[in-house]
Amino acid sequence: MKSFSFGLLALLLGCIGLTACTSQPDAPESVRIRWATDPQTLDPLLATAPQAIEVINLLHGSLLVGDYQSQRYVPWLAQSLPVVSRRDSLTLLTYTLRPEATWDNGQPVVARDVAFTLKVLNCPGLPTEYMRAQYGFVLDIELDASNARRFTLVCQSASQDIIGSSGDYLILPEYSLDPQGTLRPVPLPLLRTDTLAAVQRYPALRALAHRYRTSPPNKLPGCGPYTLTAWAKNRYLRLQRKSKWWARNVRNAPRWLQANAPQLDFRIIPDDATALLALRRGSIDLYPMPTAREFNRLRHSADTANLFFRVADSYDMTVVGFNTQRPALQNALTRRALSMLFDIPGLVQATQQGLAYRSVSLINPHDKLAYNDSLPLPAFNPKAAAGLLQQAGWRRQPNGTWWQDGKQLALGVSYKAEDSGHEIIALQFQAAAKKLGILVKAQPRNSELLKKRLRKGEIDMYVRTMHGNPFSYNFKPILHSKGIGILNYTHFQNAEGDRLIDAISVEQNTMRKAKLLRRFQTLLQQESPLVVLYFARHRLIASRRLSPTVQATSIQPGYDALQLKPNSSSRR
Amino acid sequence: MVRRVLGRFLQLLLTGWGLITVLFVLVHSLPVNDAQATERLADRLETETSAEKIQQAQQAARLRLGLTKPVFYISYAPVSQHQMRPAARWRWNGTHNQYHQWLNGLLHGNLGRSYRTEEPVSTLLASALLVTLPLTGLAALLTIGLSVVLGLWLASRPGLRWLLTGLYALDSLPIFVVALLLLLLLANPDFLALFPTYGLGMQDDETSSIVYLLSQPAFLVLPLASLVITALTEPTLQLVSALRHEAGLPYTQTARAKGLLEKQVLRRHALRNALLPIFTLFTELVPNLLAGAVVVELIFALPGLGRLLADAAATHDYPVVLGGILVVLAARLLTLALADWLYQLADPRLRIGIQ
Amino acid sequence: MRRLAWSEKISWQHGAAIGWLLLLVFAAIGSLFLPESSLTPDLRSTSVPPLTFQHWLGTDPLGQDVGTMLLYGARTTLLVSLPAAALATALGTTLGLIAGYYGNTRLRFPCAYWLAAVLLAGSLFLFRLPQAGIARVWYPLLLGGTALLLGKQLQRFSLFRRPLAFPVDQLVLAAVTLLAAIPRLLLVLAIAAAFEPTIPGLVLLLALTSWTQSARLTRAEVRRLLELPYLEAAHSIGLPAWRIIRHHLLPNAWRPIATTFPLSIAVFIALETTLSFLGIGLPPETPSWGKLLALSRLSPSSWWLLLFPGICLLATTLSLRKLLTLGKIKSTF
Repeated sequence: MKSFSFGLLALLLGCIGLTACTSQPDAPESVRIRWATDPQTLDPLLATAPQAIEVINLLHGSLLVGDYQSQRYVPWLAQSLPVVSRRDSLTLLTYTLRPEATWDNGQPVVARDVAFTLKVLNCPGLPTEYMRAQYGFVLDIELDASNARRFTLVCQSASQDIIGSSGDYLILPEYSLDPQGTLRPVPLPLLRTDTLAAVQRYPALRALAHRYRTSPPNKLPGCGPYTLTAWAKNRYLRLQRKSKWWARNVRNAPRWLQANAPQLDFRIIPDDATALLALRRGSIDLYPMPTAREFNRLRHSADTANLFFRVADSYDMTVVGFNTQRPALQNALTRRALSMLFDIPGLVQATQQGLAYRSVSLINPHDKLAYNDSLPLPAFNPKAAAGLLQQAGWRRQPNGTWWQDGKQLALGVSYKAEDSGHEIIALQFQAAAKKLGILVKAQPRNSELLKKRLRKGEIDMYVRTMHGNPFSYNFKPILHSKGIGILNYTHFQNAEGDRLIDAISVEQNTMRKAKLLRRFQTLLQQESPLVVLYFARHRLIASRRLSPTVQATSIQPGYDALQLKPNSSSRR
Repeated sequence: MVRRVLGRFLQLLLTGWGLITVLFVLVHSLPVNDAQATERLADRLETETSAEKIQQAQQAARLRLGLTKPVFYISYAPVSQHQMRPAARWRWNGTHNQYHQWLNGLLHGNLGRSYRTEEPVSTLLASALLVTLPLTGLAALLTIGLSVVLGLWLASRPGLRWLLTGLYALDSLPIFVVALLLLLLLANPDFLALFPTYGLGMQDDETSSIVYLLSQPAFLVLPLASLVITALTEPTLQLVSALRHEAGLPYTQTARAKGLLEKQVLRRHALRNALLPIFTLFTELVPNLLAGAVVVELIFALPGLGRLLADAAATHDYPVVLGGILVVLAARLLTLALADWLYQLADPRLRIGIQ
Repeated sequence: MRRLAWSEKISWQHGAAIGWLLLLVFAAIGSLFLPESSLTPDLRSTSVPPLTFQHWLGTDPLGQDVGTMLLYGARTTLLVSLPAAALATALGTTLGLIAGYYGNTRLRFPCAYWLAAVLLAGSLFLFRLPQAGIARVWYPLLLGGTALLLGKQLQRFSLFRRPLAFPVDQLVLAAVTLLAAIPRLLLVLAIAAAFEPTIPGLVLLLALTSWTQSARLTRAEVRRLLELPYLEAAHSIGLPAWRIIRHHLLPNAWRPIATTFPLSIAVFIALETTLSFLGIGLPPETPSWGKLLALSRLSPSSWWLLLFPGICLLATTLSLRKLLTLGKIKSTF
């Protein structure tokens, strides 16, 4: 048996020896970023994971991009924002592409590529259902005969938001997918309205669908700053900066046209503890969105010599929603009473370690113009809640429970099972409600199941995190009566609310829009279908290998990959 | 005997087919199945998209994925409330159904495409197996070898009770605790940073391929250790118990009387008999290790089969789930057939008794 | 002499084991009398280390007191793991005994009843029960009655009197293969992804997916025993089946089962824990040690979340193991 123990010892020693070889650093100029999950697919038509969208945006280019600093859409492939004009009820958006913009083979990006892209987005036989619904408002594209880089999009809607969304799809290379230009004769309106006839008349569509499906989406050339050089599923992605990227020729290139890191490595590490260890050992350089607890703990630890810490106010809000069509929750007074049972300052401390800020409603307090600061912040007040319940028609029984029309006030709170922050919120609410005599059940659910039940309205109350953005205020999917059964999980139906939402989306004047938004916040607080508990702060830990200019950003994913730059002085 | 083993294998194959058919029908009859296409749309819904447009898009997506067809050859026939006579329970759908199509594809080696990523399921499975097979295979071999060695050792020395207790202690800890402990103890900059924390390294690094190959075991040590440590206890203890039982039987007494050492008695005579009840445990090793691999793959960030299946189950990506189960099933059938054969080899009485 | 020293050494260990298990039961009962508010999260002190005022064992990242959670966890452990393990072992042993003893040939029924049963099942499967009123009842009754009568009548013919064996062994083996084919954790994961677990549901799910091991062990042991001469003798003197099973097979087959029982409890505790770890455990009203262990992942620096429930788990399984050796010592002396 001695030989056995010796063998074990030898194995252990061997392993120690081997690890000496493995701790070799990667290429010094590469920036290594931690991701929790794999992007799954990089097909622009299918990608839904935020990681996939981030990578796709680094590989490909769109006409416009949203800029987190100015909080507006800015021209990317387009030379400037489109020129807006009207024809009858239609809106015309005229774009001109940047003259510097080229594909990898040196060919310029032209209006024909945009037309080709729009046709692919409507091509039958490809998974384009979502794209068709999303960009269905683009009726036709008119190319300018005199200028190959100019074109006009004919759009159906009068809403302000279409300018942004008319330019946020990726431009696909015609030369790679359709070298013969077989799609050029296909008219876009026919493709939009009658796919069957289109396929019959133009068999090239079927050939294109086949070509698209059989070619791997990660090999698709794009006009973005990076190319994908390696992708090992669930392990890592490696992006290499193109040696001759067109935007380097742009004079005074704005921030969004600069790519600083020569190489980006996205490392997929699902477990937080593992990722944190990897960061502290220097195997990754950037850890976006660590848990608030670990962020604060590390910030006050000895590791600060190697790491720096950044926060930014985000648009990620944690909300509580009430299903307004449940009999017990139909009365707005009941909903308001229940929303007084959330101890928000305590929850901010417990779930976000204080790294969050409060708001009266869905509008971020940083938008000084639109934020309605005359409204009071929701406060923890069980006594007032009891009063409101009385007003709503609930009667308290001697045993402390509340009844109305022979039914007891008893609710379930659902949340995503793996989210501990939501669990704290549910437990705190449960405890506060129990003291008041309201029976509350906490119901953690698998996220797919939760979404399905939310859509069908089978849930009383829920806790969710919503990702907002600074570019537009669009409450149509989440609070308009037309959104019921889709994303309006509160099943909120209010005539004035519908009118305000519609008005907000078409209003062009900033002052008038702000006024409408303030009215809408008042209405939301009165009706209380949704209660915003807090807006989180984005957190980011980076290694000192990166140049200290790195900042946390307000929008997802919490950092700007283009901005990351390895520090030239320190090499590890 | 070859005929018997072959017959048994065929029987297992039929069982497996039955199972996968039942699973297919069950899984595809779940209402959640519809949600896939909807979610994708609804999650990124913006601007002017109306409810009708979304419903149309959903319908189109279901049509493209072939979900509008009936699930199986027969389906429930609707019947009116007031019918008094027994009516046919089923309706015949012909070969134009999802199962027929799937089976047809399967026979041609085509497992369909993932709902989530539109990638062929076989590609996904192949890349996952490249990680899981070495991991679980090595873990199974190590477990069997170590348990036999440890079992013999423990059985010949009754004084080593502390080791037994230690084994129990290890077994009572769930695998993720063991894995977390290993990680926090052996890959922690605060403690001992012996091993890399995660993943399989970067294949295309500038470092030479020999270094990469050499570094590979280091990445596997901690996952392997967690798997082996948690799987080791049960077969070892069974073996010890069986060996002790055998050691009290007359034939071992005879062997001792012949003048053999206790060690030799156990190894040459008792082990063969004691292994018999253990075979069943060994055949369970592979699925148990695979299950443990889910957790280990998650903690150590290995892109293996367990993680793929767990993800697919959670997101209701049924083509991937079914494909994965098919692979697991095949592995399982092979181990069962192997165990059956080993039984017959080990216990000659069975060979005669059956016929 | 040596043996005596052994049993002396063992006895204090047994005392400790029994003591711990009793403590566990008391804790489980005691948790019933804890005030309702004891699970309320303390928002101002989350992840507090042990030995702080009011939270002597510290708090978890949700701000719940670890001591209280351990008490509640004891109850959940008793309510989930014990019944599940007992149920799974009982089911497995029974099926294993039956399959091992009867094999594929020993359980026979006359041909006639086989035919009738097939007819009954066939018509139930092919034709729908009418939905309205009494018809719901008369249809299966009619079918059952017809089948019985048919069986009786057919027995008149010698052709149908020939007995036909019921392949119990094959059926049990097929069920074992089916269940064991998919790793249990994956199966439970897939089921839990589609449904929401409750305590009885979880117990049933765990038991129904875990009986196979004891069934296989018992069956293997019974098959080995059946070859032994004394059982052949028992057969030849015509002892009834249940006596052979009860008095000769069960006591012998019990040994491998008994060795694995505490282990299987540990496995159930681990499984429940792992489910919590993967995010699909019981609702938060029923805290468990597993939940605490899983929470340690949220704040890896909180060693007390690993240590205390880990010690509880260890002590419980080791105590169970000790108890079984006690039973063995008694039976051998």
